[in-house]
Amino acid sequence: MSELSPIVYIVDDDPAVRDAVAFLVASVGYSARACASAQELLDALDETRPACLVLDVRLPGLSGLELQRALSERRSVARIVFISGHGDIPKAVRAIHLGAVDFLEKPFDDQLLLDRIGEALAASSGDLRRRAGQRRQERKMSGLTNREREVLRLVIAGKTSKAIALELDISVKTVENHRQNIMAKADVASVAQLIGWACEPD
Amino acid sequence: MVWRAGSLLGLATALALAAGSLAGAQQKTEVRVGVLAYLGPDEAASAWEPTLAQLNAALPAYRFTMVAGSQAFLTAAVAAHRLDFLITNPGHFLELKVDYSASALATEQDLDGFSSSESVGAAIVVLDRRAELQHPADLRGLKIAAAAPDAFGFRAAFGELLERGLDPLKDVNPVFTGFPVDGVLTMVRAGQADAGVIRSCLLEKVIAEGRAGAQEFRVLGRKTGNGAKCQVSTRLYPGWAFVKVAQTPKPLADEVARVLLAMQPGAGEKVWNQPDDYLSVQDLYRSLHVGPYAPFTRLGIADLLWRYRYLAAVVGMAALWWVAYVIRVAQLVRRRTRELAEAYELARLKDVKFEHAMRLSLMGEMASSLAHEINQPLAAILTYARGCERRLEHGADPQGLREAIGRIAIQAERAGDIVRRMRDFVQKNPARQAPMEPAAVFREALALFAPTAASRDLAVEADIPEELPLVRADRVQLEEVILNLLQNALEAIGERADGKIRFAATQEGATIVAAVSDNGPGLTQEARNRLFEAFFTSKSGGLGLGLSLSRSIVEAHGGRLGADEQASPGATFRFYLPIIEEDVRV
Repeated sequence: MSELSPIVYIVDDDPAVRDAVAFLVASVGYSARACASAQELLDALDETRPACLVLDVRLPGLSGLELQRALSERRSVARIVFISGHGDIPKAVRAIHLGAVDFLEKPFDDQLLLDRIGEALAASSGDLRRRAGQRRQERKMSGLTNREREVLRLVIAGKTSKAIALELDISVKTVENHRQNIMAKADVASVAQLIGWACEPD
Repeated sequence: MVWRAGSLLGLATALALAAGSLAGAQQKTEVRVGVLAYLGPDEAASAWEPTLAQLNAALPAYRFTMVAGSQAFLTAAVAAHRLDFLITNPGHFLELKVDYSASALATEQDLDGFSSSESVGAAIVVLDRRAELQHPADLRGLKIAAAAPDAFGFRAAFGELLERGLDPLKDVNPVFTGFPVDGVLTMVRAGQADAGVIRSCLLEKVIAEGRAGAQEFRVLGRKTGNGAKCQVSTRLYPGWAFVKVAQTPKPLADEVARVLLAMQPGAGEKVWNQPDDYLSVQDLYRSLHVGPYAPFTRLGIADLLWRYRYLAAVVGMAALWWVAYVIRVAQLVRRRTRELAEAYELARLKDVKFEHAMRLSLMGEMASSLAHEINQPLAAILTYARGCERRLEHGADPQGLREAIGRIAIQAERAGDIVRRMRDFVQKNPARQAPMEPAAVFREALALFAPTAASRDLAVEADIPEELPLVRADRVQLEEVILNLLQNALEAIGERADGKIRFAATQEGATIVAAVSDNGPGLTQEARNRLFEAFFTSKSGGLGLGLSLSRSIVEAHGGRLGADEQASPGATFRFYLPIIEEDVRV
């Protein structure tokens, strides 16, 4: 599965800073998107791609920290690197607690910022992959009945049909029927293949 | 000199007489008779001793003593009430009559045949061999010797010269020998003077005594037909007067007068007649402007001062005090002026320092926002620069970086502007008002304040016309006033989420009106009353100087600053600045 290219969003009300950061980010090959306000970001944010927000703490309207909370509530994959004009330690601490990658003071070291952007994008990308795996898993499992999921769990745990029948207090014949149904839905021929299907993310 | 010589003479005579009569009658009342000693004390004594002797004989209750002296000495003695009577010449009597209310008891007539009213004259004598000198008018420009300026003979002669058209003070050159009068003849004889003025009959007397040759001297302008035995150059005046001074008791004076008139003189002695009216003497003195008729300046300053010495002392002290007072006042004025100038300079310096301190404090309140404001372009510059580096490292086309480099320059200018604004605002230059465009100053101030407002998520709403008429102002001070008002508005709003600050400027007639409004809690009545008092503040961290300083600044610009009575919600501060007259605009 090919992943979509990441985007670095820059949110700062100062157009010069915004454009400069976009320029820097673009110079190392990232696609950059500059936003003047939190609302503009919310409108533009693409949750299907790995995303990093370079976010000024102080913004007109919704502030940087408020935006962070809103994204967090939305379970956004975007990771945040805060930038700030003045070192506001309490704000920085809160931001980090809420999962920000870092809190950089302007003017910041370019390498540090790019490193943090890289980390943020990696994390975001990981999130996306994990979530994609979970979604597939859920989709696989969603084809099975509750009884079939119970049987599958015990099969993967290495239990025999007899032990499963005993544990679930059903007949061995019924267990065998469930196993055949599961293998048919997973489109596998052997138990080994079935275990592989159930545990591999893709 | 005359006075001193006279005083010595008088003193000597008085002592001698006092010593001589000390052993005599202690019970007798002493009567002091001053005698003018124009020929010296001895001559005076011999001339008048017979008269005094007769008085002493006729009036045994009294002891008449003689005090001989010069005219000045005798005058002083009269002034000091040291004399009861005087025997003196007509001129001196006239002076005493006018100045000291003296009166004549009798007039002298000598036995040479003159009448008492035509008894005394003067002779102008020259050496006989001086053939060119024939008339008094020939004396023009020459040296004339006389005993003293106030000698009666001299005055009589001068009266004569005046009658002949010769101003004695301008046309001839008088020299004075002092008493006795003999010195005059000596000078003329020695050629030290061309002519001499002597009393009538003196020349004859000297010749008779063999002290001069009969043909040695010649009398100029000799008058004839008056029956005189002596040669005279002048008309004849009454003889000497026996004078009573004002305070001498009348009974004594009457007794003395009776004795004088009844006196039977021996050979060569004086005869006393009824007192003459001395009108001829008055006429003479009036024509000469001397004696009582002297203009103020002609009187000897020394005499005048002596005569009015008490008054003079008082006047002198008053004058001294006045001079001292004037000097003192001038000194004080100079010192106070200097002190005032120093105090003013000090106050001005303090004012300058104080105002500067206020500006620094204002700047301090805005500093962190301004630091942030400078940080923004710096961050942008740094970031652009790093981006360029990276692109070049990756082989990007340098031409493609032009835009970024241009932006770097813009951001550097932006940072520079902020720094310049701050530096201008805190500069310590003395206030200097100059014509300027107020709209530009207002915009500068708002630009300086914008970061501070932004730090509270506020933007000052500005309503400034593109152009306003010029005002005369100190740019920094004007900015200071606006920043003060904006800062106050910001603090009034506090943490309100919907805070608003508005700055509006407009022209109203001949003034520019600028108003700063906020939607804070507004002013309490107490705050409104004490708004411009120094050290009154409603802010927790305020010094209470901002508004009072702002008001002094606006007033120093010829304007005024006040708070609107009705501004609700919030407060509105408004200041007015006079517009420069059209013709002053450059």
